Amino acid sequence: MKELGGVNGLSRRDFLQNGLVFGVGAQALASGYAAIPDVFARAVLAAKSAAVQNDKVLVMIQLGGGNDGLQTVVPMSSSQYHDFRPQLSAVAAKAQPISKDLGLHENLKGMKALYDAGKVAIVQGVGYPNPSFSHFDSIRVWETADPARKAQDGWLGAAIAKNYDSAGHPLVGCACGTTNIPGMLRDLQATLTVIDNVNTFGFQGGQNVENVMGTLYRNTPGIYGALFDSSMTTVRDTVAQLRTSSAKYTPKGSYSDKVNLVYSSKNQLAAALQLAAELIVTGTGVKVLHVTLGGFDTHYTELNRHDALMSYLDAAVTAFHDDLSAYDMADRVMIATWSEFGRRPKENASGGTDHGTASPVFLIGDGIKGGLYGETPNLAKLDQLGNLSYAVDFRSVYQEILASHLGVDAKEILGQTYDRVPFVKSTAG
Amino acid sequence: MGNQTCQAERYIGHMNDDPGTAKSPKKARKAPLGIRRRHVLIGAGAAAGGLAITRVLGLHHFGDLPTISLPGQTPAPTIDWISPLDKPEAQVAQLLRRATFGATPAEYQQSVKDGFKTTVDRLIETPVAEPPALAGADDASQQKSINPQNLISWWLDWMLRTPTPFAERMTLFWHGHFTSDFRKVTLQTPFIYWQNQTWRHNALGNLHDFLYQVTIDPGMLRYLDLGTSTGRAPNENYSRELMELFTMGVGSFTEDDVRNGAKALSGWREPVTQAMYDALVLRAQQQGRQPPKNLTPDTVKTGVFVQQRAYVGPVKFLGVTKQWDTKAVLEQILAQPATAPFIVTKVLREFVTDQPADAYVKRLADGFRKSNYDLKTLMRDVFTSPEFLAPTTYRALVKSPTELMVNMAKSIEQPGLARAIGQAGQGQGQTLFDPPEVGGWPSNASWISSNNVLERVNFAQATLTGIAKLPAFNNAHLTQLDGVVSPATAQLLNSSPDDATRWLILLASPEFQLK
Repeated sequence: MKELGGVNGLSRRDFLQNGLVFGVGAQALASGYAAIPDVFARAVLAAKSAAVQNDKVLVMIQLGGGNDGLQTVVPMSSSQYHDFRPQLSAVAAKAQPISKDLGLHENLKGMKALYDAGKVAIVQGVGYPNPSFSHFDSIRVWETADPARKAQDGWLGAAIAKNYDSAGHPLVGCACGTTNIPGMLRDLQATLTVIDNVNTFGFQGGQNVENVMGTLYRNTPGIYGALFDSSMTTVRDTVAQLRTSSAKYTPKGSYSDKVNLVYSSKNQLAAALQLAAELIVTGTGVKVLHVTLGGFDTHYTELNRHDALMSYLDAAVTAFHDDLSAYDMADRVMIATWSEFGRRPKENASGGTDHGTASPVFLIGDGIKGGLYGETPNLAKLDQLGNLSYAVDFRSVYQEILASHLGVDAKEILGQTYDRVPFVKSTAG
Repeated sequence: MGNQTCQAERYIGHMNDDPGTAKSPKKARKAPLGIRRRHVLIGAGAAAGGLAITRVLGLHHFGDLPTISLPGQTPAPTIDWISPLDKPEAQVAQLLRRATFGATPAEYQQSVKDGFKTTVDRLIETPVAEPPALAGADDASQQKSINPQNLISWWLDWMLRTPTPFAERMTLFWHGHFTSDFRKVTLQTPFIYWQNQTWRHNALGNLHDFLYQVTIDPGMLRYLDLGTSTGRAPNENYSRELMELFTMGVGSFTEDDVRNGAKALSGWREPVTQAMYDALVLRAQQQGRQPPKNLTPDTVKTGVFVQQRAYVGPVKFLGVTKQWDTKAVLEQILAQPATAPFIVTKVLREFVTDQPADAYVKRLADGFRKSNYDLKTLMRDVFTSPEFLAPTTYRALVKSPTELMVNMAKSIEQPGLARAIGQAGQGQGQTLFDPPEVGGWPSNASWISSNNVLERVNFAQATLTGIAKLPAFNNAHLTQLDGVVSPATAQLLNSSPDDATRWLILLASPEFQLK
């Protein structure tokens, strides 16, 4: 039977013989390391080269719909801002100053505290040339790291496929709180887990049904056959993994999804981050996580809705960071936000804003060199469509995440080397 | 053992017997699945002994199966299903899987008897049957909102029982195309409920009329903000998605078209029903305020055009500068060369193949335009095109969760499952009336994730467990799966001790996920 090449030339059979594989067979081994899971995690991380054998984890938070950067990092003292936004500029008076001219939205209280502690980097004016104003088009650009819209695979999917042996370790890449694979993680060569609700992630009918399904989804013919089969294998490996990990984890942050948001019930951000924390602190070998908070497409009555989104985001991120800190892992984990675009500086008649361009990216964690990066958007110099010009190419942010945080070859993923935005304290190696 | 071999060959039906792939019946029989006659007999005995069906579905007799599988990324040899589409009954079955939600055994038999062509005629030409009204929905208001589970079940129930399932299938298609969701529109209005009826009325009509009804639909006015857009400060949301997602596709218009389109389309507001008006008055009284002035209840179920809200003056839109109104904007869009191919591509990806060839798209788009955008003509062209029954389209599409679950219910003749299906939708990524984004539902490969495969299998298991009396299996693999199954499915079906287990294998199988 054909063997896949594994870590450092080890074959899959070696992994199996040595017990270095996740799944039912590794259960007993894993449970012995409940207290110090990262030792175990490191041992089985399945990195494809010695250079990427580190304990870093990345958590991407998608702010779906196009987050309004000017309402998030508020140019409080800009007269143009007040002119463009007679209604929305009401947030300026209550913003929490982080510089002479800029303030964080008043509801980002926990993130302001983290900023003051030097754990938050804000890269301003992140975008790309010839921006698309289509949600789907621009999401695809961010997902594939390709403004030419030719690439199919997600940049994180590619990073997983090229650097980790995800086939034996389905939790190397995981999307939490959703049902489908996010585009950023998509890659035919990467195995990915998707867990919508961890409490129901198991087989109805128990082990016997599970065994039968494992047999039923094997060597399935047709164009979708391999996808079905690998999905089922991933389910079974993940179920086995969760069986051991959930028993070992108690949340140490106050996660709550009880919020009054239009899209809250299908965006259980806090629950998704809690699951992310569980996967991280119990040593499942997880490297890349993706969660989503939707509802940022604020074409109407933005003031209240964006306020609520900020407060929800802040509460969930703060709980997550508290949790990781309590487990002494906040130095390993980087949170990065992304959104397909910012919004038009001028507000519209519905008390909202239309699709725009550049917006800020937040990077959070104890390994972050906090502060402001990039350039504050220049409201006096809008482009001919009335939008902000970008100052930092989003791939420069990816470059720093890949090379300095995850310690992988960024050029292999991005096609070229981009200027560093040096928000990582000490680079991984 | 001899008997089992015989069954295996029968179940396998059209199998690829390439000697290099361990797919031949002979080899499949020897596959080490650990199923032995002894275990089968034990299982059968337990069932006969009157054990609860849950225990029978527990499949304890399969205990010898391997409990760990090798991690899955090994690229399996690419073997395709052997298409049975040269057979009339398989052609009809594919039509029913794609143009409807699959069929009950009786519906299947009738359609096979009628033949493919007559079935196409019947599906397309039978006048659309309307669902019974959802009690109270027309009077939804701030005082009394529609329960979302009731709304979802109401529609699913009609998918299960309607005599014109093609119309429901098309309504579901358009729901994913001209999208709105109840979160933004809210259920304190009848708008989303009305939208479902409007889409059904127009699903097989003419795109000119349909597009106008979409544009002035109260739910759509709220969902994409055209109802609050004015000539003074236009909101671009509808203008953009109208062109990008509904008609022309990204790249076929400019940002100026979006902005000027927003101006040209402005002037609409939502209607206020009597019930909504009464609720507003009541709330004002309770809060000690005057009832809203300048507000009277409307009787229409569409948006209301208010000239003072509209933009006055010429703007350049898709190459033409003039004073526009809503109908002229839509006609200008329908005159664009991008529009027919865009709609046709979307239809073909839903009903024929994930990657339709350019020439195929062009041919159908030409016919669609020539018919002046008649949707019945388009759908007839789709189903009667040679491509629809080409071997490469066999199992080339993945059922959405709704299609899958309604099809399950039909195949086991359980029309009472609407509520269970509605509740299971969310975990599989499809809550009706609540698509994940303005682009609608994912399609095909995007439905397949570890989460969704698990949830699909779990729905089959939970459903079968909850049914008091299952219909006899009666070679359902021939009618539901065209007799074309993988060696794994064949072996498991062969080894199943009872019909309950056979149904589980069939409904949970990869084969049944495809259409």
